[in-house]
Amino acid sequence: MKTSWLILLALAMSAPLPLSAAADHIFDTGLEERAEGPYSDAQAARFLSQATFGATEAEITRLRAIGYNAWLNEQFEAPATEHLPYLQAQQALGFEIYQNARQEAWWDRAITADDQLRQRVAFALSEILVISDQSGAIEGQPFGMADYYDLLVNHAFGNYRELLFEVTLSPLMGHYLSMFKNRKPDMALNIRPDENYAREIMQLFSVGLVMLNPDGTVQTSGGQPIPTYDQFTIRGLAHVFTGWNWADCPRDQGGQWWEWEFCPIGPVPYPEPGWDIGWLLQMEPWESYHASEGTKQLLAYPGVSLPNGVMPAGGLAMDNLNVALDNVFEHPNVGPFLAKRLIQRLVSSNPTPAYVGRVAAAFDNNGSGVRGDLRAVVQAVLMDPEARSVAPPSSHRGKVREPLLRQTHLWRAFNAYSDVGRYNYWNPEFSFGQAALRSPTVFNFFLPDFQPTGELTDLDLVAPEFQIATDPQIASSSNALGGSTYWAWRGQPGQQPEDVVLDLAPELPYAQDPVVLVDRYDLLLMNRTMSTSMYQVLISHLATIDNDSNPNNTLPTEERRRRVQDAIWLIQTSPEYVVER
Amino acid sequence: MKKTINRRDLLLRSLQCAAGSAAFTALSGKLQLANAATLARPKSAVLRGTDYRALVCVYLYGGNDAFNMMVPTGAGYAQYANARADLAIPEGELLPIAPVVPPSGGGSFGLHPRMPEMQSLFNSQNAAIVANTGPLLYPITKAEYNAGTVPVPAQLFSHSDQTVLWQTPQAETLNRRGWGGRLADLFYSTNVNQQLSMNISVSGENVFQSGETIVPYFVSTSGAQAIDFVQDVPWQADRRAAFLALRDASYDHALQREYARRVTRAMDNQAMITNALDTATPLATTFPDTYLGQQLRMVARLISARNTLQMTRQVFFVAAGGYDTHDSQLADHADHLEELSGAMNAFYNATLELGLGPQVTAFTASEFGRTLSINGDGTDHGWGSHHLVVGGAVNGGRIYGTPPDLTIDGPDDAGWGQIIPTQSVDQYAATLATWYGLSDTDRDMVFPNLSRFSGPNLGFMA
Repeated sequence: MKTSWLILLALAMSAPLPLSAAADHIFDTGLEERAEGPYSDAQAARFLSQATFGATEAEITRLRAIGYNAWLNEQFEAPATEHLPYLQAQQALGFEIYQNARQEAWWDRAITADDQLRQRVAFALSEILVISDQSGAIEGQPFGMADYYDLLVNHAFGNYRELLFEVTLSPLMGHYLSMFKNRKPDMALNIRPDENYAREIMQLFSVGLVMLNPDGTVQTSGGQPIPTYDQFTIRGLAHVFTGWNWADCPRDQGGQWWEWEFCPIGPVPYPEPGWDIGWLLQMEPWESYHASEGTKQLLAYPGVSLPNGVMPAGGLAMDNLNVALDNVFEHPNVGPFLAKRLIQRLVSSNPTPAYVGRVAAAFDNNGSGVRGDLRAVVQAVLMDPEARSVAPPSSHRGKVREPLLRQTHLWRAFNAYSDVGRYNYWNPEFSFGQAALRSPTVFNFFLPDFQPTGELTDLDLVAPEFQIATDPQIASSSNALGGSTYWAWRGQPGQQPEDVVLDLAPELPYAQDPVVLVDRYDLLLMNRTMSTSMYQVLISHLATIDNDSNPNNTLPTEERRRRVQDAIWLIQTSPEYVVER
Repeated sequence: MKKTINRRDLLLRSLQCAAGSAAFTALSGKLQLANAATLARPKSAVLRGTDYRALVCVYLYGGNDAFNMMVPTGAGYAQYANARADLAIPEGELLPIAPVVPPSGGGSFGLHPRMPEMQSLFNSQNAAIVANTGPLLYPITKAEYNAGTVPVPAQLFSHSDQTVLWQTPQAETLNRRGWGGRLADLFYSTNVNQQLSMNISVSGENVFQSGETIVPYFVSTSGAQAIDFVQDVPWQADRRAAFLALRDASYDHALQREYARRVTRAMDNQAMITNALDTATPLATTFPDTYLGQQLRMVARLISARNTLQMTRQVFFVAAGGYDTHDSQLADHADHLEELSGAMNAFYNATLELGLGPQVTAFTASEFGRTLSINGDGTDHGWGSHHLVVGGAVNGGRIYGTPPDLTIDGPDDAGWGQIIPTQSVDQYAATLATWYGLSDTDRDMVFPNLSRFSGPNLGFMA
């Protein structure tokens, strides 16, 4: 085995290189007869990097065995792994439950759950339908926030209209964007309905600020983008979103103002179990606080059901809310708006308009005449030719991997777990600039249209994830990955039961030969997109980790581990890995 | 625009580069930078002497409710209290300020009760208040706004858009070039150190500091961080060599190139920044242990290291969040203003300690003010707002511009208590930029809309 890397090393030293080492990988073998693919391990790994929290050797094998369609169907049908039960189980064990426990649940599901696609899509949705524990209004509600996350998990393949409904009536969203206890106008007190949720459900959750073509490109008039709505629409919708309070408010005295104002969170007093159950229940309407009177300007667009987008006066809070959500959901922008965002989270920062258009079409009609079917949308995102083919680097396709996903990839690829069974990584934002449901504002960790100054602006490319790739974050994320790789492996001296550690033992046999090792990680970590030059740098470097002058000797365990660690970390911090094509 | 290279300038800059502490490997990148900056700079830009100057943008994310920050007292209080109803600050709690010149429109004013430091700074004439300022394309009246006869910026009242509007000098285009970045495009070549960006942010990405060619450098409240596993030490040498080989390879993919550039910059600057901070004389001024306080402490520490860093012109960015007070405003907003007042005061004291009072100016920015009307326990997105400018060069103790009529549906109300600004962000920014040293010609280039407004200089800077 030693000879092969020596030859390659010699080749690496002599420039220019006549043959491509990267093209000379071990040939894939598999079930080439299946119609839909994947036709190679590389294709399987690429798909899994988009559809899961990171490819593993076992999953690559399985996907190759059953094919994309069977894998997708399996994932679509797999039972949802919820996050709230994790917190409840921890509580039953006697742990105090804070947001830490919610982050543990997130890591646990990301690393170990079988419903990987659902979890990955839920994470993408959590960066679109944002709530955050950075808000004082909900930071003390780990159970409620886990339940909100489960709402995204459970509806990840459901209908977007239903998801919008659930999100709108979640008390967590109600508190985060202040629709909770939003009340009808009172001119005498100069009180108008709160516009917060009305504004953001349109700007961030559904239609966006400007009119889109079916392929997501912006509609203009006289060179200027055409706004989707104006302040009157925001006010109209703000009126709709009035009159919502905790579930099951006592109204024994006829719904008096003090009953509205002092409605308890649950039916029993603190601290009896259930005193705060309202955080897990949908908000409920109070007609006396709902702005039923007066017409309401909602979205106006070609084909809108309401005449000119105007909701007639009258109606109950729930009915009006449903009419308004229909008005939002039926807007032609929603398909391309959501398509672009999901593609960006799963596949590519700069999809072609044609790709966006194909996904938007799946949103508009799942093939059975149903609008908003997220299962069809997710399938369209992942099975699009633009997602399934590797474009040349000069096309600038792909995206910057989210820092959190680099960590999940590491832990999944190398089967990381702690002896106590928990993933107690509570503040990944310190290193990575992000953590589940912990963005600074409802605008997420980064904006979908973020353009770094300089070359990317000149090329008119967006790269949302670069918005948090500041100098300190580049260092701290590289260091966090390094800490996990160099200092947290199973069997290391001083390993504690709660340490999440990589299982590097199965890697050591591969480390005898740098070519074999790098080839393995080229597949597992990079879907075989590693360039020849990167390949050569790595094997040259790994070859130096050998104190023995006789290359025919078996490498000691210590040096094999160092080769494994350097290979993993150098890949995970390299431009070619960080930006996946 | 036709681009030509000024070879003399290029030569001059490469000499500066060589003379400075710049690492040789960074030269080619910097030459490109210098190149582009030369192209962007008009002939009239004259680079000034070696005196130090810094602008510090204190950005308040979410939209600061300045109508509860500076409140009319006396005869004007009733109008405010009527509009703000349950959210009105009791008159007796307001901290009176004593303008040395009566504000336009007269009246007396007080600051929010949690801002005693700002009260002192104002009354000692080291702070000014710039009233009712906001993004505008043209001066506009309520009648013109209602009739739609005068254009206004697109997407008013949206957080993300008005944040850009506040930071860019070209409101029509909403591009990502901020006026702090444009200043740096023009001034960065005065710094001997050509490796470190003239613009440093302690609060991440922002439009304000991004220019045609200048990108901000980012630090945290604890400074710069090294990549621990590839330090320049013998036992990491091999791994470091491999890491650098991957970083410095040529990439066809633009995003991979961008990442490699960022890693390079983070590594090149880290040692320089860390060394400069470590060797600077520790500041005696204590800063509040708040996020804003610690960010401004880092700015003060970087300024204290200016000689080691060989910087004579700098633009800083710090920020605080939570100003989007749709809810529980009375409690939350008060906490934020206390943080703001304490942090800006400590920073001012630090500039005095450094002997740089007149050479450093801190100013607030925030995407919008908030509606006069309330939604129960909070307020919604407004338009015009008041702002604070603090520093030894400020013509302090005055209120610039006319405080608005706070009557609901009054002459300044665009609707629902969204107050129409009477001074544009362009004027506010241009006043600061002029103090910074921008020539009139450059000023008109950086702020192309400025001539639409009466008076390119609001006069609050000496």
